[in-house]
Amino acid sequence: MADKFHDEIITLRGDVVHMARFGRDMLNDSITALQLQDLEMARAVKTRKITLQEQHDALEDRIFTMIALYQPVARDLRTLVCSLMIVQATERIGRYGKDIANATRHLADTDTTGNFISIPHMSELVVEMIDDAIIAYEGEDLTKIEGMSKRDDVVDSLRTSIFRECLTYMMEDPRTITRCTHYVMISRFLERSGDHACKMAEKVNYMVTGERIEIK
Amino acid sequence: MTEHNDIIQVDHLNLWYGDSIALRDVTMGMPDRQVTALIGPSGCGKSTLIRCLNRMNDLVDICRIQGAVNFHNKNIYANDVDPVEIRRKIGMVFQRPNPFPKTVYENVAYGPRVHGVEDRKQLDAIVEKSLRSAALWDEVKDRLHDSAMGLSGGQQQRLCIARTLAVEPEVILMDEPCSALDPIAAAKIESLIEELKTEYSVVIVTHNMQQASRVSDHTGFMYMGELVEFGTTRQIFEKPHETLTENYITGRFG
Repeated sequence: MADKFHDEIITLRGDVVHMARFGRDMLNDSITALQLQDLEMARAVKTRKITLQEQHDALEDRIFTMIALYQPVARDLRTLVCSLMIVQATERIGRYGKDIANATRHLADTDTTGNFISIPHMSELVVEMIDDAIIAYEGEDLTKIEGMSKRDDVVDSLRTSIFRECLTYMMEDPRTITRCTHYVMISRFLERSGDHACKMAEKVNYMVTGERIEIK
Repeated sequence: MTEHNDIIQVDHLNLWYGDSIALRDVTMGMPDRQVTALIGPSGCGKSTLIRCLNRMNDLVDICRIQGAVNFHNKNIYANDVDPVEIRRKIGMVFQRPNPFPKTVYENVAYGPRVHGVEDRKQLDAIVEKSLRSAALWDEVKDRLHDSAMGLSGGQQQRLCIARTLAVEPEVILMDEPCSALDPIAAAKIESLIEELKTEYSVVIVTHNMQQASRVSDHTGFMYMGELVEFGTTRQIFEKPHETLTENYITGRFG
């Protein structure tokens, strides 16, 4: 029975990684759609929300069932707890992608302001953080999450600078208010996604070592 | 968790049955008024160890012991120690309920009688108190003078616990106390253990890891006669330090 359980954990982890990348792609593609002002692409991101939700619910259900049936302890328990956390975090990340895709709808027909400011750069950093957290989970490779806190600091300061930059644009020209308000919102979504990557990294560390750390 | 002094300290204990070694250099403490669980695969030495704690192994001819078991800082294997007195202070409950073929009342009154209590009123009081402490009183108070063999397995086991409590021990040793019981009866014993630890120290040997994790404060994992790891139950089941412990409790061997 224990072998069956451990096989199930291996399969589960593969599926969790798959869902995590699905969520990451939604975020990544939403920013690409914004940059390209591609409404079609933005719409496609939005519809992926349904699959994302289905994966989330199914995985959550599976994890609960495994806990109930096998009463795991030690590393097995930590792996399931971490997997649950990754499922939840990447669901949030995917939803931020959907929110950004929603905003793109309002932005596609207007002029770009300041070439999207630092949003594409910020997005790159955040997606890398998410990627590394997923790789760390997949291969139990803690080196991938070593510099997470510093990387999150950079993301946080980008959000502040985007906010300031948008303020100056809006004060100069009130016609940019709609667009810049969306930029501020988008930078907030990206910053939150970075926080989720940090949370994932914390839980991966817990899964591997049993130690709780705080990344902020 | 607050600090508890160790009521029993096992100090570099080795034990042989004839030529084969059953315990290797075991050193550990059983904290006072706490539940200590011993887990490990069959033949790991956990039952042998628990039997050392009240000198039950004295009854095995080929058994040889080296090291010490200190109870209140005195070695129970010292020459001037009376094993009968030790077994009164450190009681034992076994895997299969083993009530005497007597009435419920006599089962509980037997121990105090042996230790010299004769007054009927005093015996009545001891019987009631012990049965209450063993969470059995309400179920048997109207059949105290019926045969104990008519009780259910779970009731018999609680009767055995009451019998142990009747001589006012300080430590209760339990060797697989639930493995011959159904889940409901086992759950009753488990909640009883939780109550007992306010007044007694409990050491329990169990095959059932979920049971160890539910009832105990400290857990020792034994393998091939050695104590591999000892720690708080939470630490052992959440974050064991030893790979061997990890592999055992997650079912990778055993």
